[in-house]
Amino acid sequence: MMQNKQILHPPKKMSRRDIILTCAAVFILIVILANAENWFGSYVVRILNTCCIYAIATLAMNLVNGCTGVFTLGNPGFMCVGAYTCALLYLQPAVKDTLYYVEPIVPWLRDIHTNYFIALICGGIMAALAAVLIGVPVLRLKGDYLSIATLGFSEIARIIMLNAQSVTNGAIGLTQIPNVVNIWVAFGALAVVFIFLRLLMNSSYGRAFLAIREDEIAAEAMGIHLFKHKMLSFVLSAFIAGISGGLLASLIGAIDANQFKYTFVYQFLLMMVLGGQGSMSGSVIGAFIVTSALEWLRFMDEPINLGFIQYPGFAGMRMVLFSVLLILIVLFWGKGIMGDKEFSWERLITGLKRLGKRRSQEKEEVS
Amino acid sequence: MAVLETKGATMRFGGLTAVDSLSLRVDNREIVAVIGPNGAGKTTAFNMITGVYRPTEGEIFFSDTCISRKRPDQIARLGVARTFQNIRLFRSMTVMENVMVANHLHMRSGLFGASLRSPLARREEAQMAERSIEMLETTGLVEYKDWKATSLPYGLQRHLEIARAMTTNPKLLLLDEPAAGMNPKESAELAEFIHQIREKFGMTILLIEHHMKLVMNISDRIYVLQYGKTIANGTPDEIRANPAVIKAYLGEED
Repeated sequence: MMQNKQILHPPKKMSRRDIILTCAAVFILIVILANAENWFGSYVVRILNTCCIYAIATLAMNLVNGCTGVFTLGNPGFMCVGAYTCALLYLQPAVKDTLYYVEPIVPWLRDIHTNYFIALICGGIMAALAAVLIGVPVLRLKGDYLSIATLGFSEIARIIMLNAQSVTNGAIGLTQIPNVVNIWVAFGALAVVFIFLRLLMNSSYGRAFLAIREDEIAAEAMGIHLFKHKMLSFVLSAFIAGISGGLLASLIGAIDANQFKYTFVYQFLLMMVLGGQGSMSGSVIGAFIVTSALEWLRFMDEPINLGFIQYPGFAGMRMVLFSVLLILIVLFWGKGIMGDKEFSWERLITGLKRLGKRRSQEKEEVS
Repeated sequence: MAVLETKGATMRFGGLTAVDSLSLRVDNREIVAVIGPNGAGKTTAFNMITGVYRPTEGEIFFSDTCISRKRPDQIARLGVARTFQNIRLFRSMTVMENVMVANHLHMRSGLFGASLRSPLARREEAQMAERSIEMLETTGLVEYKDWKATSLPYGLQRHLEIARAMTTNPKLLLLDEPAAGMNPKESAELAEFIHQIREKFGMTILLIEHHMKLVMNISDRIYVLQYGKTIANGTPDEIRANPAVIKAYLGEED
C-alpha cells in the first residue's frame, strides 16, 4: 500500500537533467551579467535594469490580476508611494535642504536617513499599508467597480504627492537620488521576487488564489475566506509594486508624481497580457520584451527619411503602435506567450524538438 | 439529534417570496431529499443554508449553532459542504488540485510560512496530499488525478465535485441536483456512490433531485416544496401516496 501511494504521488523533485540545465543557465546568466558593461555598454545595461524593475512591477500586478482574478489598476499608485518613501528615507538631509527651495521640508522627515535597503523595504511597507487602507472598502466590490476604484486610488496617490509640498516637494519632485541599482541589484531583486512568488503559487495559498480566480462561489463553499485571501494577495502585490517603485526612483535618480499617471498602468497591463495572465515567467518575459521594444522603437518618434518618402516623426508614435499591438494581442492571442503555464525545461525541449522536426520535414519536402 | 434544523426560514427577493417559512430537519446519518417543481425554491433553500443568501426571516441551526448570519466560508468551516446544480469545478486546475484546494481551510500555516516552506507547512502539505489521494482512491478518481478537471467525462465531474466537497471533512453534505443531465446508467452509479459515502463516512446528506427513481431509492425522508411552501414531508412511500404532491406534479383531475 505504501509503495502504491508513492507511485501515485511522487514527491515533486526536479529531474537530474533539469537541475543541470538550471545550474548551467544561471551560470551563463551570471557570466553575461558580470560582463554586460563591457560587452553591451552602459546604455544596454540601463535598459536591462529597467526591464528588471518593470518585470517586478508586472509580477506584482500578475499576482493579484492574473492569479487571484481581482482586476485592479492601482499599480502606479503603489509604485508612487514606494518611490517617494524610499527616496525620502534615502536622501541625505543636506541634499533635502537644497531640493526644498519653495517650501522647507517638515523637520522630522528631514532628519531621517537610512541605508538604501531599509529605505526600499519601508517603501514596500508603506505601499502595503496604503493597500490595506483602500483594500478594506474596495475589495468588497466586484469586477469593473473594483478596477475603477483602484484606478481612482492611483490618481489620488499621485495628486496627494503632487500637492503635499512640504513632504514630497510637490511638482518639483525629488532629484539627486543616488543610483545604487546596478545590474546585480536589479537582477537580484527580480530573482528574489520571482522565486518567492513561484513558491507562493505552488503552496496551498497559491491554490486558494487560483480557486478564487476560477470560481469565487465554489471557493467560498470550500471554506476559503474570500476577503482575507484577496486582501493577502492585494497587499503583497502592493508591497512588491512599492519595492519596484523604490528601485525605479534610485535608477532614474529623479522622481515626480506625474511619472506615475494612471496611463502608466496600461504598460504593465500590456506586459502581463503579452506574457500570459497568471504566468509568473510570462510576466517576466512580457516585461523584458515590451520594455526593450519601447526603447528600440524610439526611432518612430524621430523623423525618418526613407529616400522616397519623408516620415516627419511624431512624439508618442511608439505608444500608438503599442496600443495597436495590445488590441491585436487581445484579439488574436488572448492567452499571451505562456498562457497560464510556467516555464519548464521539459516544455522548452519538446517545443524545440517539434520545431526541429518540422524543419527537417520541410527540407525533405523541398528535396 | 438534529444535524440541521431550519426554523421558519424565509427568503424574499423584493415582492417575491422564494422560500416561505421553511422548517426542515435533518437527523444524523439521514439522507433527506428536497423535491418540487422548477422554481419551487429548492436551490434558494440551499443557498440560505450555506450562507450565500441571508434569510429575510427565521433561523437556521447546524448542530445547535445558529448559522443564518454567517458567511459561506465560516459555514463550510463548521462542517457543511455542498455541490452545485451547474458544476462549479476549478476549471484550469487538475483533479488533484481541485481536491487539494478543499484542504486549505484546515491550513494553520500563514502565507509566508507556506511560501517559504516552514516545517509546519511542509507537514501540512504532505498531510493534504495524503488526504487528497485517499479521497480520490475512495471515490475511484485516483487514476485521473493529473487530468484537467474539465476534461473528465460529465458523470465523473459530478463525482469529483462530491469528492471535493467531502475533502473539507464535513458533517453535512448538500447535493444540488447531483443526477442532472445523467443517463440512467450514470444515475444508478451515482446512487451507489452516495450510498457508499454515507456508509463509509457516516455522512448526513441533504439533496435536491428531480430524478424520482433516484430520490425514492436513496432517501429516508422527503420534503416537497411548491412555490416556496412546504406542501408535504414524510417517507418515500408516504410522499408517493400524498394527494397534494400528486396534484403539484401532475395537476388536478377535471
